[in-house]
Amino acid sequence: MEYKLRKAEPKDVPDILRLVKELAKYEEMEHQVALTEKDLLEDGFGETPFYHCIIAEIQGESSSEDPKVGGFAMYYFTYDPWVGKQLYLEEFYVMNEYRGLGMGSEILRHLSDLAMKTRCTGMMFVVAENNAPSMQFYKRRGAEDLSQEEGWRLFRFDKDSLLKMATPAEE
Amino acid sequence: MDFSIRAANVEDCKDIARMIVVSRHVRTYLEQDGFSKNPFFHGIIAEVPEQLRTKDGHTKVGYALYFYSYSSWAGRAIYMEDLYVMPEFRGKGIGKALMSKVAQLGLAAGCNQLNFTVLDWNKSSRDFYMSQGCCDVTTSMGYHCMRCEGEALQHLAQP
Repeated sequence: MEYKLRKAEPKDVPDILRLVKELAKYEEMEHQVALTEKDLLEDGFGETPFYHCIIAEIQGESSSEDPKVGGFAMYYFTYDPWVGKQLYLEEFYVMNEYRGLGMGSEILRHLSDLAMKTRCTGMMFVVAENNAPSMQFYKRRGAEDLSQEEGWRLFRFDKDSLLKMATPAEE
Repeated sequence: MDFSIRAANVEDCKDIARMIVVSRHVRTYLEQDGFSKNPFFHGIIAEVPEQLRTKDGHTKVGYALYFYSYSSWAGRAIYMEDLYVMPEFRGKGIGKALMSKVAQLGLAAGCNQLNFTVLDWNKSSRDFYMSQGCCDVTTSMGYHCMRCEGEALQHLAQP
């Protein structure tokens, strides 16, 4: 099966959302996906993109068959004043039926290369501790677990708490 | 205490670097990365009036660094990379005001989340953030922050 990696285009938004939901389902968090196609279009393909995507496209068996989107990675750039620019890998997924073709490794290789070309000193991402296959996949490739090794904890304010915090206290 | 919060500009770089050196012990490419045409982060500064300046004459006494990020589930998000107030100015609401300003900026940009990291051993910070309505995603969802850098990143980039 032939595949190729390319930059996502606005027409890929329905597939991106489909794959986001598939990955969320695998993590048993499907109900948490609040994003819509409209959000993805505005936020990824407007004047100031909040994210970038690369798509892994499976070529059709014959010339009359349309290529299919079999995997994707969503990323953006972050900053650590200690070490500079980082490439942040937000989402990375290959559909079950297309695994074992080396697509995942190729996506990771492409992103690492992009990180180096754009002067990033590291690539960062989050893995759930109960996702043993993913943990092994990344640690085998030299990733450090900063939560375990340095005690980093990720804290989050959701929308309601954000609104409360943004309101100045009563005098 | 009388203080004001405003957006950081290129002239604030040396004060941010001074405060980062105190809280992080390293030099950085702050000016280039934060104050050129396409910045990779933004800053806000807390200033006190002249009469409250430090022994060394500094009126810029706190800062926060942030940038915009994205959640594949919740959309636009804001990430607070650094939050710092000089020790002699703590306990006066400056830290809270800086964080509140980051929250306001995030909401104005359509963000649904404010994310940041706190170190394990920093119990007073962890308690402070939890009291403000935060959730510890590493504990509640088991999310570990991972990084590939240096040789590991170079190796990954090889064909």
